[in-house]
Amino acid sequence: MSEERETRLLMIAPTSNVTPDQLSRTIHAMGERISVKETCYGCLIEGPRDLVRKVRDAARELDPNGIFSKIRAYPLGDPRRCRAHHGTRPGFSQLEMEWNALTNISAGLDASDRGEKVVEPEPKKQLPVTEFKKICEVNQ
Amino acid sequence: MKVFIDPPNSLILFDLIERFGHEPLSTMAALQERVDNIEIDMPPMNVTLDDVIKGLKYAGIEVPSGIRGRLAVWGPLIEEADAAVVMEGAPFSFGCVGCERSNLMVKYLLQRRNIPVLYVTYPEDEEQGKLVVAKVKEFLQGLDKKEAN
Amino acid sequence: MAELIKIAQLSCGTEYSSVQYEIEKAARSVGAKIVYPDVSAADINAAVERFGFNPRSPQLKLMIARAVQLADGLYDADAVFIATCFRCAEAALVRNELRRFIQENTRLPVVTYSFTERLKASQLLTRMEALVTIVARKELLAREKQSGLTAGLDSGSSTTKAVVMQDNKIIGKAWMPTGDVVESATSVLEEAMKMAGVELKDLEAIGTTGYGRFTLGKHFNAKLVQEELTVNSKGAVWLADRQRGEATIIDIGGMDNKAITVRDGVPDNFTMGGVCAGASGRFMEMTARRLKIDVSELGNYAVKGNWKNAKMNSYCSVFGIQDLVTTLGEGKSFEDVAAAACHSVAEQVYEQQLQEVDVRHPIIQVGGTSLNAGLVKAIGEVLGEPPIVPENSQFIGAVGGALLSSGFL
Repeated sequence: MSEERETRLLMIAPTSNVTPDQLSRTIHAMGERISVKETCYGCLIEGPRDLVRKVRDAARELDPNGIFSKIRAYPLGDPRRCRAHHGTRPGFSQLEMEWNALTNISAGLDASDRGEKVVEPEPKKQLPVTEFKKICEVNQ
Repeated sequence: MKVFIDPPNSLILFDLIERFGHEPLSTMAALQERVDNIEIDMPPMNVTLDDVIKGLKYAGIEVPSGIRGRLAVWGPLIEEADAAVVMEGAPFSFGCVGCERSNLMVKYLLQRRNIPVLYVTYPEDEEQGKLVVAKVKEFLQGLDKKEAN
Repeated sequence: MAELIKIAQLSCGTEYSSVQYEIEKAARSVGAKIVYPDVSAADINAAVERFGFNPRSPQLKLMIARAVQLADGLYDADAVFIATCFRCAEAALVRNELRRFIQENTRLPVVTYSFTERLKASQLLTRMEALVTIVARKELLAREKQSGLTAGLDSGSSTTKAVVMQDNKIIGKAWMPTGDVVESATSVLEEAMKMAGVELKDLEAIGTTGYGRFTLGKHFNAKLVQEELTVNSKGAVWLADRQRGEATIIDIGGMDNKAITVRDGVPDNFTMGGVCAGASGRFMEMTARRLKIDVSELGNYAVKGNWKNAKMNSYCSVFGIQDLVTTLGEGKSFEDVAAAACHSVAEQVYEQQLQEVDVRHPIIQVGGTSLNAGLVKAIGEVLGEPPIVPENSQFIGAVGGALLSSGFL
């Protein structure tokens, strides 16, 4: 088992019914040797790498397509990263924006599970100049 | 397989790559090595002068230091990658991906590697979300087959 | 120590250039802390739209959103530090326009900086110290009259100046080229005191400024030890009798140049530096040496010459002197060459410093180089308006030191 530190953030999609509190309590209840910190978007977990991944997989069972995760470079409570220390770091805005997009990704995962076939629409092309000219002439 | 993600700090791409059984190569992992190195005291990220100088491998001295520093972090990941997934038009690109010139250079470096690269567009609705997931899944499963061969 | 002064940082590239630590170190060492105005993702697009400049780089959009938070008073900070990578055109445009935006919408002092990966905390120290002084010493800086018997010492890179003042008048003054910092200062102070007819024990307070301010402050047990940006500004407006209203102060120094905009004598924006000695007083000295004339005569030659007759246009003092040698070789007159040297420095001050501040009127030119009539003429030509050069303009730092130190009596 890898003892290397892994810090991971778990983020709940806006469409999921799971709450950060529920997620954190579920993880606590697992009784594993990892740290858990509830956040506004889900929670942060930290511990030996393999254990963190095991917990991630188990926690995801609450809502497999509604809970997302990525690793975080900084350990929990690292003052270099802490918002209280001197305001939000740039990555915070990014997380906010990705959180909004999770609705669509969640829907995509559900569709994939259902085996839905997705057809890629033809990309929109720019209007040929000759066509545009005609439109301009009509409107003159 | 090791799959480079662009934006390299994207939660969505990181999650999808792992979910479909591959190893994402991200900024977070590259920075973790640095922030955990107790011998360096260059907070917040421990990107050092040495890093910025190493960035000269990717861009000349006339290129702003912020670009060279970023490329010094990502360059080795791109070199290590077996494949890449690029999400275009992502409105969420702050922090490490805050510099558009650096981001253009990353796409170019990926192109030069001649590895399989999937380009997807940031989804604006559920239909597009389905398309992104389907394409990423298909691409990553294709990599599995390639590996099996 | 009282509560830390909060300097809001609006920047792009600092963390990946390995300079963020240096910025924070500089702030810490002057009793300040760096803060980032909080923005939510939703604020960003609205802020960019309002600002009207939509850069491609997202980090620059974030800078704009943070500036809007400050402008709208939604985030509490005392001063603003705007920094972007040197050689990034997109960021340079945003940096300067944001500086303007902050000045139009707030009363916060601002300093802009374009950095390379070689930036060290020491290079920022004077700027950070000035931001802190402006915030923390508001009352002291509001002082318009000198009182009692005080002295000011200005330990510059080229010259050391001393002034003795009593009841708002200069009663003694002296200057000499800087050698050993303490010896030079002791010598000029003695000379100034002799002229004033006073002794060291009579002085009620001493103020020190310039590169050697800390050493001198300790040696002379000075009541005021303060960076030259705020001290020189006070000295300049006192000498020019422009204590109220707005002005721009141009100080072409021996090693670096300063352009400071002031409101009621207190700086609200300033730039410092110069790419090379080619744009500073040092270049005047080098030119004079090559012409084998005393530097004090250079200006007299220059006013009689026409810079257009001699080509000299270089950012670098070495290349500048090469231009000068070539021009002399072509048989151009000393007058034209001297005028071209002055014009070259003026142009570079315009290109490098004055692009980072919004010039306000009147323009007050100070510092030792303001005694060079050729350089004053050249600055007037480049700016389209003759600057005011007050009497004793080379003593701004020392006057500012004497004036402000009297605030401690």
